[in-house]
Amino acid sequence: MVKFQGKVVLVTGASRGIGAAIARAFAAEGAFVIINYLQNELAAARTVAACQELGGDAWAIKGDVMSEGAVTEMIQQVLVEVGKIDVLVNNAFKPYEFDPDKRKLAWQLTWQDFQAQMDGALRSTHGLCQAVLPQMKKRSQGSIINIVSNLVARPIIPYHDYTTAKSAVIGYSRNLAAELGPFGIRVNCVAPGLVYPTESSRHTKEEVKEMIIAQTPLRKIASPEDVAGPVLFLASEWSGFMTGQTLYVDGGFIMK
Amino acid sequence: MQQQEIINAILAFISDQEGSAEVFDQLALQIFSYQYKNNLPYQSLCLQKGKTPRTVKKWQDIPAVTINAFKEVTLSCGDPRQAARVFMTSGTTQGVQGKHYHPSLAVYDQSMIHNFKRHFMKDTEKIRMGILFPTAAEMPNSSLAHYLALAVQEFGTQESHYLVDSQGANIDRFMMELAQAEHTGEPYGLLGASFSFVHLLDELARRGKQFSLPKGSRILDTGGFKNRSREIALEEFYHRLEFFLGVPRTACINMYGMTELSTQFYDEGNDILPSVKSGPHWSRTRVVNPLTGAEVPQGERGVLVHCDLANFNSVTTILTEDLGVKVAGGFLLLGRAQGAAAKGCSLAVEEFIESGRGRVK
Amino acid sequence: MKERAGYLPGISEDEVAWQTVTFTRNEEVLEVAVPVLAQEQMQQLAEQIKNNSRQVLKTLAIGEIVEILDKAVAVFLDRHSPYRRKAEQLLPIVTGYDPEVIRHGLTSFLKTFRKPQLLRFLAEDLGNISLLDDFQPRAKGGFAKAFGPDLIVHVWAGNVPALPLWSLLAGMLVKSGNIGKVASAEPLFAGWFANVLAEVEPRLAGCLAIVWWKGGDEEQERSLLGQGDVVVGYGSNTSLASLRSRIPVTTRFLPYGHKMSFGLVTKDSLDARKAWQTAHAAALDVIRYDQQGCYSPHFFYVQRGGAVSPGEFAKYLAHEMECFARRYPRRALSLEEMAAQAAWRQQEELTLFSTPTKEILGDDARAWTVVYEEGAQITPSCLNRTVKVLAVDQWEEILPQLIPYRPLLQTVGVASAPRELWQIAELLGRAGVTRITSLGKMTSPEAGWHHDGRFNLLDLINMVDIESAAEEYAERLAPYVD
Repeated sequence: MVKFQGKVVLVTGASRGIGAAIARAFAAEGAFVIINYLQNELAAARTVAACQELGGDAWAIKGDVMSEGAVTEMIQQVLVEVGKIDVLVNNAFKPYEFDPDKRKLAWQLTWQDFQAQMDGALRSTHGLCQAVLPQMKKRSQGSIINIVSNLVARPIIPYHDYTTAKSAVIGYSRNLAAELGPFGIRVNCVAPGLVYPTESSRHTKEEVKEMIIAQTPLRKIASPEDVAGPVLFLASEWSGFMTGQTLYVDGGFIMK
Repeated sequence: MQQQEIINAILAFISDQEGSAEVFDQLALQIFSYQYKNNLPYQSLCLQKGKTPRTVKKWQDIPAVTINAFKEVTLSCGDPRQAARVFMTSGTTQGVQGKHYHPSLAVYDQSMIHNFKRHFMKDTEKIRMGILFPTAAEMPNSSLAHYLALAVQEFGTQESHYLVDSQGANIDRFMMELAQAEHTGEPYGLLGASFSFVHLLDELARRGKQFSLPKGSRILDTGGFKNRSREIALEEFYHRLEFFLGVPRTACINMYGMTELSTQFYDEGNDILPSVKSGPHWSRTRVVNPLTGAEVPQGERGVLVHCDLANFNSVTTILTEDLGVKVAGGFLLLGRAQGAAAKGCSLAVEEFIESGRGRVK
Repeated sequence: MKERAGYLPGISEDEVAWQTVTFTRNEEVLEVAVPVLAQEQMQQLAEQIKNNSRQVLKTLAIGEIVEILDKAVAVFLDRHSPYRRKAEQLLPIVTGYDPEVIRHGLTSFLKTFRKPQLLRFLAEDLGNISLLDDFQPRAKGGFAKAFGPDLIVHVWAGNVPALPLWSLLAGMLVKSGNIGKVASAEPLFAGWFANVLAEVEPRLAGCLAIVWWKGGDEEQERSLLGQGDVVVGYGSNTSLASLRSRIPVTTRFLPYGHKMSFGLVTKDSLDARKAWQTAHAAALDVIRYDQQGCYSPHFFYVQRGGAVSPGEFAKYLAHEMECFARRYPRRALSLEEMAAQAAWRQQEELTLFSTPTKEILGDDARAWTVVYEEGAQITPSCLNRTVKVLAVDQWEEILPQLIPYRPLLQTVGVASAPRELWQIAELLGRAGVTRITSLGKMTSPEAGWHHDGRFNLLDLINMVDIESAAEEYAERLAPYVD
């Protein structure tokens, strides 16, 4: 028996990369996966096809997670079509250039830099959580998983604005977990290290990768599929008594 | 799909002797989509359960509706005011009868005819019938009256008769008919409500009269006893049918049907009780745990759920109040799951209703 | 496992026919042998108990009786006593309730029958408890004494464990002989208690009996009911009506019918901090005995205007039900009960379309159902952890809804600030409610409560007056009169 038969899972930013890997993993366990994407319709369609091939079902829905209106509309549409959302994975994030050499130094950052990342990470997460809450509360169950980064625990390269926003998501998730526990809804985070290959890590220098690998007990860099496992775990009943947690998926780079 | 397309598809499937499981599944899902879209109370029930055309992948996933729902809400894809026929349940709750709307009887009739021929007529084309039930004109909202009228129209000889009218059983007519059949040696079919048979058997016993109907004669009873006659055990019932009418129990067929469906279930005689009932290829029966809807293991007691594709206008899948067990070749009917007695001293629904009417003394 | 039900003083086990009632819970099977007495045996038993009531019970002082009952109750409160252990082991099998629910329930219930509580019980009804021992002076002149009947017949119903104790102890307190008929749904506790009583005080051994007959056995009923001075009956209105028809008109009949109770949550208890606690208490009232008690809530009225809305309260309540479903699982339901649950739930689901503000919480897989509604009429729950939350603005709104059901109302569990409590109490009293308690305590009535608004002891006794005229007349006949 597959683990997510009859469950509906919404993954934001799921046309490619980590999001697509998560979507495929859910589909392989029988889930009905809603693939949210912003632009790449073709990639989204490929993920849908892959999900269906894996034995689950999928449906792509375009929508900008930064827009409150678009999010509300998207959730409404999902509910009309499939009746419920069991799991929400907030994976979409604002494009960010991870370049250790050309990153902004602390004294070069403006508040606008921070604001942009806060909007991309926290505001979109908040919007989606708000939108799925009424029906999760109604069904007295639900699992929300927010994808953050292991940089929050150890900024091996200080991407100030990006990492601060992801830290905010962890704080947000913990508070949400405390408030929603009494409704049977769980909120957790998954914090991957550097994941390769993805759109964001395509330009990561070999030297940086080597540096990270050298400090990673499992001696490799995470693949998108590595991230999916803990996400599925947090979505399943196996983690039924866990909420407000952050799981680090980085080969032991962070231990806490 | 539109109503007419749905009707055509079902009619084709009923006529298709092969009736493959794949086509059944496909058609069931098409009808589900149609009903989900056009039967709005049903849609809200499905949405509540998270079952939509997108997520329902096989006929077993189609949400079942309790028969009580026919009393509570209008379950119709088409405009109920346009219905060609409305069948109503005999049982009521708070004086409300369940209503089953049929925009056309084409499907109902084909379903009845195919199934009746196979299980009751078998190789016989026509048989002289005696009907122990009022006519369809007398009871226009009775599905059973329509069913029996159809039986007479399609399979009865010219000499077939109704032996019951609104005044009750016409005993003398009944005696005459049976005597006539005995005399001619022509097979005779006696069809009607189970409770009417009980009345007649009692009357025969009282008069000390016994018949021996010609070979090939057969009996169809249906509907149980429903407080309309004294409750008698099935064993006694079929024993007495055989004893007083001379029709072997293997030729005594019990039809199990309900107003909320458009297809009937039959057994192959009642020499062994309880008899195995089964439906035609356009229906499926599951035995479920009524709370979870999950099928119970074979051999375990559960509540019957019927998926009847001929129910194209209301809902295909009905959660009954009948207890049953799944067996090879069909299911056994074990009675009603009604009247769960209150265990404690908290108020039961029935008492509350009575109280609201000021009947608590 | 096997266990014998009943308590039949003066009749040996082999003189009686026994019938077996089988109970199963999970894998455990318990066969309970219930006694089937012949009519003559029943008559004989009734005679014997009446005699003992006259010759033994009526000669004991009320203080002594209270001491004896206190000792017997202590046996059941002692978790190491064999009887208590048996009760904890077997009652879950008989009733299907979770062992922990039974354990807590028994203790909280039995605590209301210790000596101080029994004395309060007596004081509540009689004022002066010596009324049961001697003629007591009356303020207006003259004297009066309370006489209990020789025989009270109790016809118990239901599966809420130990419930028969209320009327049985009330009968003992008024120095009456008692014969109780146990329900097949819980035939054991009353018999155990009678045995303990006889062990604690052998003089009482012949003053009570616990019997059984198949419900509706008219002959048995008629023969015993005719013997009683008072008949206390529990059950549905239908069964009470049939019971009443078999009781001689001169016999006092005290019927306790099935009741409907509910909860009432004011906006004061719905702020960000207290809403959860309120929901927790409400859920406890629902899960205890799976709403089978007359004091169990069928629905909760919840007031709008608090920080947490009635709709949100319903969701807190739903999750509390889910938590309790794991901590104290629901009794295993029969197929019939499951079908009733499914039908009830579907009826709600199908009306979602016509009442879009309605919400049905949880899903089919849950061992509970919470329904939220606005502007709805009250309806009874189908029990077994099924409740409605009804949104209300003003408490005055509920009065017209309740009045048609006046004879059915009993307990209301209230969460409100002090000032409002009194206003609500006045309102509910007018609607026919007889017990107002706190949310979370609905299933544990206090000692000395007025069951269904009546006097537990006063309804059993006769007051015998010596009027002042008799006293004055007697004065004239005194040998020492001048």
